[in-house]
Amino acid sequence: MAHNFKTDVTVDWCPGCGDFGILTSIQQSMAELNIDPLGVVMVSGIGCSGKTPHYINVGGIHTLHGRSIPFATGVKLSNPNLKVVVTGGDGDLMGIGVGHLVAEGRRNSGLTIMIYDNEVYGLTKGQAAPTMPLEQKTKSLSRPNIFTRLNPIALALSSGYSFVARGFSFDMKQLKEIIKKAMNHPGSAVIDILQPCPTYNNINTMEWYKERVYKLEDDKNWNPLVSKENIADADSIFAMSMARAQEWGDKIPTGIFYRNTALDPFPVRISKNVPNYFETVPAEQRISSADGYTVVDAEKTFEDRLIG
Amino acid sequence: MKKRKRLHLKTILIKNQYPILMTKVDINITVGGPQGGGIDTSSNMISRAFAQSGYFVFGVREYHSNIKGRHSYTHVRIKDERPRSLKYPIDFLVALDPDSIFEHLEDVGHGTKIIYDSAIEKAELSQARMIMKDTALKIKETLTEESYPNTISGAIAWMKSRGAIPIAVPFTSVVQQAISGGVPSRYFNTLGAALTLAISGVNIKHMNESIRLVFSGKDKIIEENIAVVKAAYDYCSQNKLASETLPDIDHPKRYMLTGNDGAAIGKMMGGLRFQTYYPITPASDESTIMEEHNYIRWVDSEASKLKEAGIVVVQTEDEISAITMAIGAALTGTRTATATSGPGFSLMAEGFSFAGTDEVPLVVTLYQRGGPSTGLPTRNGQSDLLFAMNTGHGEFPRIVMSSGDVEECIYDSMKALNYAQRYQMPIIHLIDKNLANTSDFISGIDGKKVPVNATKFEVHGLNFKRYDLNTKNGISNLGAFGKDIFWMTGDEHDELGHVTEDSDVRDRMMVKRFTKLETADSEIPLEDKAILYGDKNAEVTFVTWGSQKGPILDVIDLLAEEGIKANLLYVKMFIPFPTKFVTDILSKAKIVIDVESNFLGQLAEVIMGKTGIKIENRILKYNGRHMTEDEILSASREIINNKEKKVEKVLKHGA
Ligand SMILES: Cc1ncc(C[n+]2csc(CCOP(=O)(O)OP(=O)(O)O)c2C)c(N)n1
Ligand code: SF4
Ligand SMILES: [Mg+2]
Repeated sequence: MAHNFKTDVTVDWCPGCGDFGILTSIQQSMAELNIDPLGVVMVSGIGCSGKTPHYINVGGIHTLHGRSIPFATGVKLSNPNLKVVVTGGDGDLMGIGVGHLVAEGRRNSGLTIMIYDNEVYGLTKGQAAPTMPLEQKTKSLSRPNIFTRLNPIALALSSGYSFVARGFSFDMKQLKEIIKKAMNHPGSAVIDILQPCPTYNNINTMEWYKERVYKLEDDKNWNPLVSKENIADADSIFAMSMARAQEWGDKIPTGIFYRNTALDPFPVRISKNVPNYFETVPAEQRISSADGYTVVDAEKTFEDRLIG
Repeated sequence: MKKRKRLHLKTILIKNQYPILMTKVDINITVGGPQGGGIDTSSNMISRAFAQSGYFVFGVREYHSNIKGRHSYTHVRIKDERPRSLKYPIDFLVALDPDSIFEHLEDVGHGTKIIYDSAIEKAELSQARMIMKDTALKIKETLTEESYPNTISGAIAWMKSRGAIPIAVPFTSVVQQAISGGVPSRYFNTLGAALTLAISGVNIKHMNESIRLVFSGKDKIIEENIAVVKAAYDYCSQNKLASETLPDIDHPKRYMLTGNDGAAIGKMMGGLRFQTYYPITPASDESTIMEEHNYIRWVDSEASKLKEAGIVVVQTEDEISAITMAIGAALTGTRTATATSGPGFSLMAEGFSFAGTDEVPLVVTLYQRGGPSTGLPTRNGQSDLLFAMNTGHGEFPRIVMSSGDVEECIYDSMKALNYAQRYQMPIIHLIDKNLANTSDFISGIDGKKVPVNATKFEVHGLNFKRYDLNTKNGISNLGAFGKDIFWMTGDEHDELGHVTEDSDVRDRMMVKRFTKLETADSEIPLEDKAILYGDKNAEVTFVTWGSQKGPILDVIDLLAEEGIKANLLYVKMFIPFPTKFVTDILSKAKIVIDVESNFLGQLAEVIMGKTGIKIENRILKYNGRHMTEDEILSASREIINNKEKKVEKVLKHGA
């Protein structure tokens, strides 16, 4: 029988929240990929978005505000056989946790990171999140926002992510396909997901987005893949993706902005320093002998400290 | 400054055979120079040469938070039995630059030999720009008070008036005897070491062997340095400086290890396979050492069965990432740790609290340096005990333990990993900077001393209750991602790991978590919590933790020679605390002296809180420098002689 990726935990998001579409898209992607439920771990931060793992019937860690990425990286690097998916809010991943988002781009560990981009801090009642534009005043704000808008796609690109995409929570068909590709991508992926929050964001609503979004893949010439074969074009492809990342306002692109399969993921880089890293992953190593003592010969390992 | 008699080397001849050494070699040497000027190499050569001839060397490294130029030094003590402490006044001051003379003015005494470059005699204090302003002012006052000029000559004369023996050596011309061309000052560190060894009578063959080991693989450098050594020995014999050759003594095989080494070794033996860190003194050396020894060698019985493997050491973007990444790794069943120091641990507080409520097996090796804030980043301190006992918001169980010497660092690190698995909670292992940078000779690393109780991860199947409430000891089955489906959340949670705000489940989870601490308390043997060294019925009872253990044990021996019986209550575990044991000892003790490297007497506060017993006498030091045998001895004498009133002595010594 196919695994049911749903749990019986009551989903307690507000009616009409974009989070439902994301949850369904994740569950469908896993089912369609026929993923081994033991082989995947969901990791989230704190916020409305942070509740996602409890609703999915695979291992889940609902971590701390902003810290989902390093938790997830620890899972991944100690057992690189696992697929690790991160779900977090825009405040969580690009406000308090933005340092980790950038650092993970430089690592490229192989995480699938979904940013629930609702422009507000949902769970703390609608304060402005880093993606809210300057001077925008949503109903929960007492005065217009005095910060400028952070561009998640440009940030992900400049951080070094090897897979950068944008989805829309009310286009589950496209979102699901992006998630599937991201989960099969060897490096780390960022998916910025436009996620209306009907409770606190009365400006960037489902209708607002529907009028503006278009799909990059509708243009048959759009091919932002850097691979070992076309590595000579890497710079121009990156520049093309970065240029497209600037588009926002009347027209909002969705789909895959950038993909790079030529860059070694972090585990591959680790394997160059750690013998047999993939064959005996840290989580699977035997650490004691049959009689219950260490398997490490410290005197031999630290022979250089022998002083005579 | 007090004059003290030096212990001299005594050899006696038995039946005209080999000279048999009475245990009287006791040499304290300080080698000082500019940071980046090869001080470590110099003291390494000295240690290795003495090691070759069979002696034990114990040393501490002191340095500024600076990369090049400021004063740094190593203080080593050489004995034919393993030393446990350092002592002032020193027997040799090897000054590779003028600052080293000025900075160590007060470390010399009767008979101290000062080896320095005759070319620096005219150097002025006012030109020694790398000496901290306030320190320079202090030195100026000391010299001026007795009308000595503020120059090296003045400082040397000041030291001479205290009985020191200046040995001015023309460094450049001695080096030029050996090497033509090049920059002579590049060999000053070898020269300083060679002069010291020649003067103290170490056979030149040991020095040469030591050079070969220190520069192993670099033939030209070895050749040049050996030439410098010969020139130094020749200079000493021509000028009648060389002592009679120190006899070699039999010795077992030994490893020269620091506290950082000890922790790295213990963790690797204890099954650690994932370590995170963000660079910080004095913690990051531990992670670097692991990286350098990443090709683990297996014990013979396993070598054919196990594939070659290593440890994943990840340098993270900050300490928040270091602790949360370590937690993530622990959840796949990997033995995991992070190592940090005060500022980093402050950043880890929120993650630490998560590990507490989510019952994550995690070890944090907390290296203490002088706080608060950035404090004294490269200096000693023991001011994070109360912080370690209270880190993080909310109430959750943890184990807080500490080590006091290099060997303890090894075996305690193994135990910490075992406790983390067994009790599923975060463990803080405290090591002070002094211990981290202490180098000690260990004869053998015993793989059978501490078992490695590996957790058997089973596949639990559907509805696995990671936080099963039906346990007697609070310990529910540990799951591992990759094998089990379960959930975790920093929120209060139900047995499956989902968020709950149910009032009864909340109560039961709190009780479950704290029941584990009771289990730990009942299972962990007393000797891992506290040890009484010495006679039960003593006149004086010292109380301490961490790296003062060694010096106090030495002081106890010295007091015994004076007819004073003293013992030491040495505390290793603070949570769970050995309340009954400590109460029993202290309630019967006569003169009790708390010895700590902090301002508040934090262990004394813990003891007061746990037992209600107030320790009145204290020897404290918070200037960031290591406590030495002589300092503790004289402070204790003062306390012992003032039986009627409580005494708090603040130790001040140290460059
Ligand atoms: C360290 C810390 N600071 C503050 C909070 C309070 N807090 C909870 S959720 C949240 C914001 C969530 O916003 P976002 O990440 O955008 O997620 P959303 O609710 O919009 O999905 C904040 C600030 C916290 N949990 N932890
Ligand atoms: S507050 Fe907004 S983001 Fe949170 S559940 Fe409600 S609608 Fe969704
Ligand atoms: Mg948000």
